[in-house]
Amino acid sequence: MNQVEKYLNLSRKKWNKKKTWQPLIIAVALIAIIAIVHKCYWESTTETSPEDIWDNKIITKDENNWTVIFEEEVGESITFKGVLRTSPKYEVYLNDTFVPGMYSEGEALVYSEDLYGKTMLNVSGLRILVNGDLTNKFFVSEIITIKATLVDNISTFNVNEETITLDREGWVAEPEDIELASTKDNYFFIAEFFIFILGFYLSLKRINDLKWQSGLIWHLAKFELRKGITSPRMIVLGVIFTLFIIGMGWLLGDLQNGDPESAFFVQNANGALQQLCFFVFFVVSLAAIGVSVDSFHKERQANTLNILLAKPINRETIVFGKALGLTLVVGIPALIAQILGLIFMIRAGDIPSASGIIAFLVCGQIMIFTLISFQLCFAIAAKNGTDVVMYGLGMWLLFAVIWNLLIYAISFIIGIDVTSDNFENDPKFQSIASHLGMLNPAYVYQFSVGLLTHRTLAIDLEGIPGWLILLALVLWPLTCLRTAAKLFKREKQG
Amino acid sequence: MSQNILKIDNVKKAYIKYNILGKEITKFSALNGLNLKLEKGQIYGFLGPNGAGKTTTIKCIVGILESDSGDIFIDGQNIKDNLTFLKKKIGFLPEQVGLYGTLTANESLKFYGGFYGLSDNEIEKRSENLLSKLGLEKDANRKVNEYSLGMKKRLALCIALINNPEILVLDEPTSGLDPRGVKALRIVLKDLNKKGLTILLSSHVLSEVQEICTHVGIINKGKIIRQESIKEIIKEIEKKTIKLLLKVKNIKKETIGYLSKNKRIKSLKHNIDKKHEELVLDLKEENIPWVTDYLVKNETKIFSIEPQKNSLEDIFLKETGGHN
Repeated sequence: MNQVEKYLNLSRKKWNKKKTWQPLIIAVALIAIIAIVHKCYWESTTETSPEDIWDNKIITKDENNWTVIFEEEVGESITFKGVLRTSPKYEVYLNDTFVPGMYSEGEALVYSEDLYGKTMLNVSGLRILVNGDLTNKFFVSEIITIKATLVDNISTFNVNEETITLDREGWVAEPEDIELASTKDNYFFIAEFFIFILGFYLSLKRINDLKWQSGLIWHLAKFELRKGITSPRMIVLGVIFTLFIIGMGWLLGDLQNGDPESAFFVQNANGALQQLCFFVFFVVSLAAIGVSVDSFHKERQANTLNILLAKPINRETIVFGKALGLTLVVGIPALIAQILGLIFMIRAGDIPSASGIIAFLVCGQIMIFTLISFQLCFAIAAKNGTDVVMYGLGMWLLFAVIWNLLIYAISFIIGIDVTSDNFENDPKFQSIASHLGMLNPAYVYQFSVGLLTHRTLAIDLEGIPGWLILLALVLWPLTCLRTAAKLFKREKQG
Repeated sequence: MSQNILKIDNVKKAYIKYNILGKEITKFSALNGLNLKLEKGQIYGFLGPNGAGKTTTIKCIVGILESDSGDIFIDGQNIKDNLTFLKKKIGFLPEQVGLYGTLTANESLKFYGGFYGLSDNEIEKRSENLLSKLGLEKDANRKVNEYSLGMKKRLALCIALINNPEILVLDEPTSGLDPRGVKALRIVLKDLNKKGLTILLSSHVLSEVQEICTHVGIINKGKIIRQESIKEIIKEIEKKTIKLLLKVKNIKKETIGYLSKNKRIKSLKHNIDKKHEELVLDLKEENIPWVTDYLVKNETKIFSIEPQKNSLEDIFLKETGGHN
């Protein structure tokens, strides 16, 4: 009993200490509850593992009588929820896409002329025949719900001059029975978003001098911008990364017109845009190291911090102000370089989607803020200037250069044969790579741009749902900034 | 009844170093229950040997460090409750002045003035006034990089005063300044104090403190061991005997014998070197003429008389255990 009381008292004390952030903590708890309800809603109203149903079908090949049977009863209707693994426009049966009378192992059916104009959807691995052409109605990676019915039909085909009768069960659906999952998801997401905003707003209201400190953030940011943007180091770095991004933009544009068989072929403008994200990260992260070295560490050495700390500004505000200012120092030239890179890419290739372009530019600034905040952690914690640069370069090497090796190593450890051909197309490998990607701001940037080129957030990029990408995009800068502020606040202890 | 502009109540502060596993490896207690009171209008000299806790105390007052326990009140308000607001009442000049070298004095004042929500016009007005008061008006548009140390200190003082603080905290303000700079600073501080500014300054230069401070606090091993007005201290100094150093020749044994037995003389030392004999007498100031008369009458040749008055330094050394 004493232990329980002690624990309760300790928890109460901890809770009271977080007075400012109590509304936000409550909001996050509510969001977690809504997320569980959200998950339960889909689990109770839809079949969320269509792949299992497809994998559990029983195919029997009894001489000339073959059967394909599912565990469900014929005539039964089930609403599936899954990801469109392939683009529906490539799954429409047309005159030249199949030879009538041929058996398809992958789709478990015999091709016939009555399939013309219909679409064989791949919903998380389950093949569902839709009685209509879904070209440009649904797109690859989108999460959909589809009400499909199990039907039975008999067809014949020839194998080695023998006629085989196929008694198959298969799933069929009407185009109007398909919906984007976002039509329901949006209710949950909007509710979660508003609760978060409300919690955040109420927490901010609890900060005594928020308006005052906000003004100081901008005051400090303007000062850092003026100081940093005219520094010779930034001018040199700016010129280098602008030329690099322009060059890569032009190259990625040109590669869209190349040979589709080439390893360097870029499929479309949106794909090129995602690749350009990585090259932007590649050079901009170096610039972030360059400008962050001069912040806390150098200021501490030059004794400028003591005067600043005695001013009516709190430590969090100093970190935020400096992070914002340094983001502008790198972000403004980077934005110009990105726009120039885009212009050259569009001149040499196609035009990416408008939402993709906006995401490329906006998420680019968020990524720069993240990198600067990350670097500030080193600048605050490091004992000397060399350490700041070394830690920064280590981070750059990890995120921009050796990340793939890390993915291969982890995949190998968990049993994926990374020496086999085509292992990169293995869904298990892709899932590991994309999940690990959430721990790398470069990948988060790429994924975010990829996500926002779609018309809905309810998509699944190689196993990563859209909401997780957005969460990573928000959490990365916040975590880095919070860590930097915490490290700087710790110095108060001496 | 005068009001405490600054009150430090039982403040403790330790510097702890942890190893990589978070285990404490070293602990140095810089402040061990420090108490200090500073009333409006005082110039408070904060004295103490190196490592006594002066800078730590100052850093706790201006919010650079956080005390482990105890309270600091500025104008009656605890800094734990609203440090940011209370910082507006403080001006601070650190020992090691660090300024942004690429800015001019005007730009520096504009930058730091911006933290108090002052309008550009107001900052300009105050800057002009402060720069001329501290003799920097001609260098207002020069980059700080080109300044001498003394000029930087003066500019840092302008920065500390840009918000018209109620209390000015100075950590070793005269360190690195030439005698002219020290004198100029002394005049400025006295002038500011006359206009109502309360000043707390730490210093090693005891004569400096004795000259400009109205009150003195002596800190040792993280505790205030003595806190008094300078008038009280001077009274104490005057009450004490002084040392009289005489270089003489031909002093008779009987003369030495008489003086050493005389009640007017508390102690007597007689040293002989190659050139002279030396007498070190401990006596009250009023007895000096009597001693010299007696020596002359007894045919002693006096070459020099050097009275050595007790000073703040003696008190400081006595309190901090620095006396031999």
